[in-house]
Amino acid sequence: MSFQLTLVTQEKSLLTEVVDFVQAKGVEGEFGVLTGHTPFLTLLDVGEFIVKKGESTYAYFVAGGIVEVLPHQVTVLADIVERADEIDAGRAEKARNNAEKALKEPLAEDSRLLYLQAFRRASVRLRIVARRSAPGGNINTPPGTGPN
Amino acid sequence: MASLRSIRTRIKSVKNTRQITKAMEMVASAKMRRAQQRVLDTRPYADRIHEILVRMGTRSSFSDHPYFQIKPVKKVGIILVSTDRGLCGPINSNLFRSILKFMGERPGIEFEFVTIGKKGRDFVRRSGKKLVGVVEGVKDRGPITEILPATQVVIEEFADKGEWQEVWIFYTQFVSIMSQKPMMERILPIKPEHLKPTEGAGLTGDYLYEPDDSREILDVLLPRYFETIIFQRVLENFASEYSARMVAMKNATTNAKEVIYGLTLTYNKLRQANITKEISEISSGAEAIQQG
Repeated sequence: MSFQLTLVTQEKSLLTEVVDFVQAKGVEGEFGVLTGHTPFLTLLDVGEFIVKKGESTYAYFVAGGIVEVLPHQVTVLADIVERADEIDAGRAEKARNNAEKALKEPLAEDSRLLYLQAFRRASVRLRIVARRSAPGGNINTPPGTGPN
Repeated sequence: MASLRSIRTRIKSVKNTRQITKAMEMVASAKMRRAQQRVLDTRPYADRIHEILVRMGTRSSFSDHPYFQIKPVKKVGIILVSTDRGLCGPINSNLFRSILKFMGERPGIEFEFVTIGKKGRDFVRRSGKKLVGVVEGVKDRGPITEILPATQVVIEEFADKGEWQEVWIFYTQFVSIMSQKPMMERILPIKPEHLKPTEGAGLTGDYLYEPDDSREILDVLLPRYFETIIFQRVLENFASEYSARMVAMKNATTNAKEVIYGLTLTYNKLRQANITKEISEISSGAEAIQQG
């Protein structure tokens, strides 16, 4: 049993495929979706978005946005998306160190918040890279859209 | 009477101009194609978010959300999308004319502006209207984040402060390469009839919302819906700018060709006249010697 998945950002469409399973991180926790799920609308947190289709697994870094789940259709309207194999680990590492350093200083509330968010995004990116390069963490290259 | 040398210099300089306009024409045509593609690329997101809003709207009411509030209009916010550069035909001046007409038809109402593009900013300064937000230097390949400062100002003025009771966007629609049309659209408050279901897209039950309150989700959905609409208009304006520039530069190239043709003709006539004159001088001189 499979359903239609659409993964888009405001700038372009990343994936339109018939898939078997998706897993995402909503603001109230991770959730998985199979065909026939009850209609469901949630906001996305920063996290990994996993898609399974037959033997293949695709992974993405996603930060913010909205997911709509219908019995035979899932739509992900993401604010930021990166394919897991295209995450720039060096840049994420640098961003995390920067944010960490900044957070040690006393900061105004709103810039503190920005650094906290940057820190979370960078850590999640690094975690995805680590998981995907570990044994058994193999992913496949999604079809269609090439690199950005 | 122009000398041969001065005509030669002019031909050379017009040829240079022709080369530049020809190059600009080709650059504009490549960029136009890209801009058109980007407009198409934003469609899936816009369509999907629209579908979700329609489905939400069949079951819950939006009418108490600030984005849908209809109030008596005293002040109107205008988002003016124009180009940063000139040499693109009449598209900016046509757009400005439609704004002046729009304002003229609404006496007693105040207008304030948010501009995307330098030409529009200059227009608002000249007209003496209040400018509350300016965005310039948006790149045709840039991310949507480049225009967010503008959308934030609009949402602040409309939804948070309630300063504006209506928001309109003015931009140039891309009809075809030969034709671009000034457009005006009211984008806030959102017209509920835009969110009516078109076909049997509805569900029987309601969504499960996480967070529980559909209002919180709406607070995320609606700004993105709004941003996407603006972003699409900005990209479309790029397509219009490039096609207008392409046509303007094509005309300039054709004109340059005609000028070169005319100048070459004059040059040759003058040269021939000079030669004839010299020959007749020589032959009459020779005749004078023979007779003498």
